Amino acid sequence: MSYRVEIDEAACAAHGDCEHVAPEVFRVDDIAVVIGTAPPDRLVKAAAACPSAAITVIDDDSGEQLYP
Amino acid sequence: MDSDGVVIAGGGLAAQRCTERLRRHGYDAPIRIVCGETHLPYDRPPLSKELLAGEDRRLAFRDEGWYADNSVELLLGEHAARLAASDRTLFLESGDALRYDHLLIATGAAPRMLPAAVRFSNSLALRTVADARRLSGMLTPGARLVIVGAGFIGLEVAATARALGVDVTIVELEELPLRGILGGELGRWFAGMHGDEGVSLALSTGVDEFRGNGSVEELVLSDGRVVPCDALVVAIGVAPELAWLEESGLDLSGVPVDHAGRTSLPGVYAAGDAARPWDPALGEHVRSEHWEAAAAQGGAVADAILGIAPVPRGSSSFWSDQYGIRIQYLGHAGLADSLAIDGDPASRDFTALFTQRGTPVAALLVGRPRALPEMRRLIAKGSEQ
Repeated sequence: MSYRVEIDEAACAAHGDCEHVAPEVFRVDDIAVVIGTAPPDRLVKAAAACPSAAITVIDDDSGEQLYP
Repeated sequence: MDSDGVVIAGGGLAAQRCTERLRRHGYDAPIRIVCGETHLPYDRPPLSKELLAGEDRRLAFRDEGWYADNSVELLLGEHAARLAASDRTLFLESGDALRYDHLLIATGAAPRMLPAAVRFSNSLALRTVADARRLSGMLTPGARLVIVGAGFIGLEVAATARALGVDVTIVELEELPLRGILGGELGRWFAGMHGDEGVSLALSTGVDEFRGNGSVEELVLSDGRVVPCDALVVAIGVAPELAWLEESGLDLSGVPVDHAGRTSLPGVYAAGDAARPWDPALGEHVRSEHWEAAAAQGGAVADAILGIAPVPRGSSSFWSDQYGIRIQYLGHAGLADSLAIDGDPASRDFTALFTQRGTPVAALLVGRPRALPEMRRLIAKGSEQ
C-alpha cells in the first residue's frame, strides 16, 4: 500500500500544523514539503489539521482520495 | 552590494516569514530584527486557545540556534523610535542607529484598551504571551470572566474559558457578534452557539462603570445590570503600532503598500497588521489583521527584496477554533448581496456561501474543513470574472 501526499503550494500558508502532527512526513519552512510517509490514518490526521486545507492524501493503489 | 542588509522593525510572523524566505533563497547580507518583546519571535494564535487552556505548547517559531546558524541578529526588548528614510537609518529607543538597504515595517498592532479599565490589576487585553499567561492564571473553575467585545478574539476566549468551567459574560455594543463582518444571520448563529454553551451575552450593551479597588469587582452595564467580575478581558480590536513613524510622512492608520509590500519610500516595505495592502477585489488599500495575510505579506516582501516574481496566492483564509469546532472564513462577505446556507447550523455543520449577483465572493465554513479547497476555487474563479 502506498499513499501520495500533495501540497497545494498556492494554498499553503506554512502554518506548521501538519509538521506538528506528523513531523516524520512534513517539514515546514516558508512552505510545507513532504519528507517522508506514515500510515494513512496519520496522514489524514495531519491533512485535517491544516487550517488552509492545503493537503491532499491519495491512496495510490485504488486512486481513492482520502482527504479532503 | 547589499552591505547594510535588511532591518525589520517588529518580531512577529511577518518578520519571521520574510527572514526565512530571504535565507532560504540565499540572501547573505545581514538581517536584523528589532523585537519589542524579550522572547524569541513566536506564534500568536495559540494565545487565545491552547496556551490559555493551560496546555504546554512551544510558541517560538525557531530556537535560538536557528537565528545564530542563519546569521540573523535578534535585538530583543528593543523598540523602533524613528525612521530617517533619506539616510536609510532606523533609530531605536535605546539611541542606536541601524543603517539598512531594506527596511520592513512589521510592528504589528496593539489592542485597543478602554481607558477606564486600564488601572485594574485583573483587566487585560490579549496580545502577548505574558497577557495569555496572566489570563490563564485567572481562569479557574467558577471564576467570573467578563469579556468586552464579541469579535473573534473575544469569542475564542469565551469558548476556551467555558471549557475550563469559567462563568463567562460577553458585553457587546453591537446587537449581534461579528455582524459587521458576516451579517445578521450568521451573527445570530454565533450568538446562539455561545448562548447554548452557557455564555451570557449582553448585546446592544455598553459598560457604564467599572467598580472596584485595585481590581475590577463588578461592572455596571448600560442597561443598569450589575455583573460581578473576577477577570476582565477587553477585546475591542487593535490599532497599528506606528507612532514611531510620525515624522515619516507614511499613513499611520496602516501603511499603504502594493502587492509586493512596497511603501512610497525607497527601500521601505510594510507587512502584517501594520500594513494596508492594495486589495484588487475591493479596489482599495485594506488592513486584514489575519495570520495568513501576515505570513503571505512577509514572504512577498522577501520576494521583492530578492527580485523574484511573487508567488501567485489563493484567497487567504482565516480560521477560528471554538468549542472544538473549526470555523474558517475566506473572501469578502461585505461585497455580497445574497447568502445561501448548506448543511445544518443547529449541529454546527454547515457552509455559508456569500454571492454578489450570483458570483461567489466569500464563504464561512463551520465544522467542514474538507470543503475549504472547493470554496477557495469557487471564490478564486468568481474574482476572475
